[in-house]
Amino acid sequence: MEKVLIIIPAYNEEKNIKKTCDSIIEYNKKNKTNYEIMVINDGSTDNTKEILEKNKIPHINLVNNLGIGGAVQTGYKFALINNCDIAVQFDGDGQHDVNYIKNIIQPIIKHKADMVIGSRFIDDKSSDFKSTKTRRLGINLISFFIKMLTREKIFDTTSGFRAINKDLIKEFSKDYPVEYPEPVSTTKILKKGFKICEVAVSMNERKHGVSSINQWKNIYYMINVIISIIVIGIGGNKK
Amino acid sequence: MNSKLMIISFIFALIVIFGILYLIKKEKINIKYAIIWLLLFGLCAILLIIPNFLTILTKLLGFEVSSNMVFAMIIAVLIIISISLTAIVSTQDRKIRKLIQEISIIQGSNYDSK
Repeated sequence: MEKVLIIIPAYNEEKNIKKTCDSIIEYNKKNKTNYEIMVINDGSTDNTKEILEKNKIPHINLVNNLGIGGAVQTGYKFALINNCDIAVQFDGDGQHDVNYIKNIIQPIIKHKADMVIGSRFIDDKSSDFKSTKTRRLGINLISFFIKMLTREKIFDTTSGFRAINKDLIKEFSKDYPVEYPEPVSTTKILKKGFKICEVAVSMNERKHGVSSINQWKNIYYMINVIISIIVIGIGGNKK
Repeated sequence: MNSKLMIISFIFALIVIFGILYLIKKEKINIKYAIIWLLLFGLCAILLIIPNFLTILTKLLGFEVSSNMVFAMIIAVLIIISISLTAIVSTQDRKIRKLIQEISIIQGSNYDSK
């Protein structure tokens, strides 16, 4: 059976993190699965660390805040060291649903894809929470640029619910974008010829805390992402 | 350029050169990063003492007055140095990130991931 590691990046998630981990542990018990958890505590300033320690949740405390990209990459490095077959990126804020993990890893187990993205937009019934209008506009715009540069249609370009196989664990351990990791890494690996597929998932609204992308930074975020994608997309595709 | 200004500039260039050499000696700046400043001001000092060099160069490049040319050149050089500093910062950023990740993994590896 494949060794699956669930990487949960957490920055100041004291209110959500225990619930998220409990849901996975419970799922494991119910379905006799063996998903391993690794929380990457990205230098939280609240009680995230204490909660992780008290509840004996496996975790790595980053000695300094690195941002989402650096945190997730730490998880991939850990997955590489521990010889995991599949690594799943899973948000610590309760947005993602553990029940979809088996759908997300399925195409990888069947060797149909190198990366699977949990997508909110692939069919209309799948998700009640579709994000705000402006956010969707941004996601579509990124999607358009990725399509132009790689000829592949990715619907949910900013989804942080993703699974990757062993090849990509190796690849991402070496090189993973720090800024805007989801759309940038997607473009990068498409250019390198890896296969990506999307699986419909439903996401919940955040229960506590604020998303790492706040409204005022949206335009700045978009400009940065699009420039990054174009720079990667236009360069040659070396593998 | 009048000779008074030329002398002042020359002295200024010398002061900067000695300042940087002093900082290297005190190990406040790495020679790797200081070398560009040394070369630059060294070149300035040499050009300044060649008589009429600036005036000739100004006419050659089509500037109205030599001070404009000097400003334009200084700005161009500063931009280049700033960009190279951005590149240095980015490289260091990557190195620091790697350090933080590896140290954190080593520190945390006494936890079982099950």
